[in-house]
Amino acid sequence: MTEITRRRFLKKGIAGAGIMAVSPSIIASAAPQAAEEKVIYRTLGKTGLKVPVISFGVMRSDNSSLCKAAYDKGIRLFDTANGYQGGNNETMLGNLFKEFKRDSFMLATKVKPNTDRDGKPTDQATPEKFLETFNISLSRLQMDYVDILYVHDLSNPEMLEYKPLIAAIKKLKKDGKIRFMGFSTHKNEPLMINAAADKEDWDVILTSYNYKQAYAAELAAAIKKAGTAGIGIVAMKTLAGGGWLDRERTKPMNTSAALKWVLSNPDVHTTIPGMTSFDQLELNAKLLTDISLNETEKNDLLADMADPGLFCSGCMQCLPSCPRNLPVPDLMRAFMYAYGYSSPSMAKDLLAEIGISGNPCSGCDNCSVNCSRSFRIKEKIADVSRLTNVPSDFLS
Amino acid sequence: MAGLCLALFSFSSLAQEITFPELQGFKKTTKYPVYLPENLWDFIDGAADTYLALGFVDLHVAEYKKGKDVIKLEIYKHSDHTMAFGIYASERSSAYQFINIGSQGYFMDGVLNFFKGDYYVKIRTYSEKPKTLQAQESLARMVEGMLTGEKEMPSSLSLFPDENRKINEETFVNESVLGHQFLNKAFRAVYQAGNETFSIFLIKNPSAEQTLKTATTYLAVGNIEPDQSESRYVFTDGYNGTVFLAWKNDMMVIISGLAKDQADIAEKYTSEILK
Repeated sequence: MTEITRRRFLKKGIAGAGIMAVSPSIIASAAPQAAEEKVIYRTLGKTGLKVPVISFGVMRSDNSSLCKAAYDKGIRLFDTANGYQGGNNETMLGNLFKEFKRDSFMLATKVKPNTDRDGKPTDQATPEKFLETFNISLSRLQMDYVDILYVHDLSNPEMLEYKPLIAAIKKLKKDGKIRFMGFSTHKNEPLMINAAADKEDWDVILTSYNYKQAYAAELAAAIKKAGTAGIGIVAMKTLAGGGWLDRERTKPMNTSAALKWVLSNPDVHTTIPGMTSFDQLELNAKLLTDISLNETEKNDLLADMADPGLFCSGCMQCLPSCPRNLPVPDLMRAFMYAYGYSSPSMAKDLLAEIGISGNPCSGCDNCSVNCSRSFRIKEKIADVSRLTNVPSDFLS
Repeated sequence: MAGLCLALFSFSSLAQEITFPELQGFKKTTKYPVYLPENLWDFIDGAADTYLALGFVDLHVAEYKKGKDVIKLEIYKHSDHTMAFGIYASERSSAYQFINIGSQGYFMDGVLNFFKGDYYVKIRTYSEKPKTLQAQESLARMVEGMLTGEKEMPSSLSLFPDENRKINEETFVNESVLGHQFLNKAFRAVYQAGNETFSIFLIKNPSAEQTLKTATTYLAVGNIEPDQSESRYVFTDGYNGTVFLAWKNDMMVIISGLAKDQADIAEKYTSEILK
């Protein structure tokens, strides 16, 4: 029985193995990165590391073949974190790279200190705990050192000068367990980057940066300042929501354009788009050698920038301009819950939480709220605030 | 107005009510907002992508404090039981100390995680005091009792043969199985037979027609046109190397990690799954 079925499997296999393939992934595997010499490298600030403009945010991938393929295409910096997939992400990378010459790739990981909601260190944010966690990462990665260790997810400048932690990381650097120290930030980024630029400790910053951020200009100025200070800049969240323009995933983003927009800033040294498929890898690998925006890509970006959608970016620009001091960003979030998420009960809960009853704009004829996304604020508030008069039973 | 009326009467709430239990001797605080897909990043940074890819719906967070000891409770709701298993399994290691809670749970260095129904529950403390760790487990039991839904593992997992299977290494891949965008929603089990480690992916399609369509797409990667009478193939899949592909009705089996001359092993497992 086994022999018969074995022949069944083998019957087609012989044909399949030898025939020239049409799939992009097959072509790629048959012809390793032919244009490697054309890969665009940038120097990661004072680290001196030469990094291709496209790196790999590994967080979602559990497929080492995909990481190997990325390496074959010329990607050299792989980004993970202690917490990704409960550590399985680091383990997967460790199993892959143990066969590689250590200086043939770069590895960045992140360790999160214990912080409170304000981003300040808690009693549990001890250097001992941080080092213990980092050593677990190193063990999973099966490496003697990592190239970059980021303090994960900082949003309060106080953490940039939190001496117990910084001393511990410097010790790691001195001991050769890390080559460079950095931090990642995706909240209060301009504030954090500006603050870091004034200090000598930080080698690299991993920051969210994309064309949809209302404060992109402010962020670019901070990045410029950090670049001048010699800090390497790595961009994340470059696709501003995972590659789709809408939550329902009906409008795909021009992801190449989004990445090229980020890299049009020369102070951004590399990007770490997340990839889970060979098709995404193929698309991003093209950017290793060409990051010039073509007309179609420019038009796609402009069209998307012109569409305010439902998402309030939380820039807070509106707050000083409302004569009634309304929490406009929260009200816009309530509107998004009601219409974007089809969840009026969530919207009603939020309205109650912020103390809205009836239309808070009622009687105000001189709306002077200035929205960076050109939302028609007054209309939206009038619309969503009607929920406060609807019994909850009707909404569930 | 019409739009709002539609919203008011046609849509159901996405955010579920969660009433956090009290924990004796601890002060409960719920100062965190309910996290939704658009702001999960604020809470778990880059890890959010994995959660979003597995049907994340919302997250409720509470903290329990007693002196300097803190127990943090996170309840993630996903779109269904399979997705809850998927996110739970993605963060699980077979080396952890497994405990009988929910569908499955484990304890490791102050972390107690489990899943039940559509929920993935994570409870963490940095304290090493035995009393605090006991309180952590008590809290877990209360949350388990509070949450509704299946207490069993996803039924598809029972289709994987036991022989040589690496226990508690099963996962669920919602998107891009083996890096292919046309292959989705696979349970994966890892096997160790002698020196050979290989993975079996099991995909249950909505119909036999869909299975054939997906198989045809996959075979095209190997430049193979399916034969009407054949439902077992071995071919080279780009970066993934040799794969064995077989299907029957709505079920599809993919084996990766074996060499072409190990078809007998592939056949043995395939037959058992598709019997």
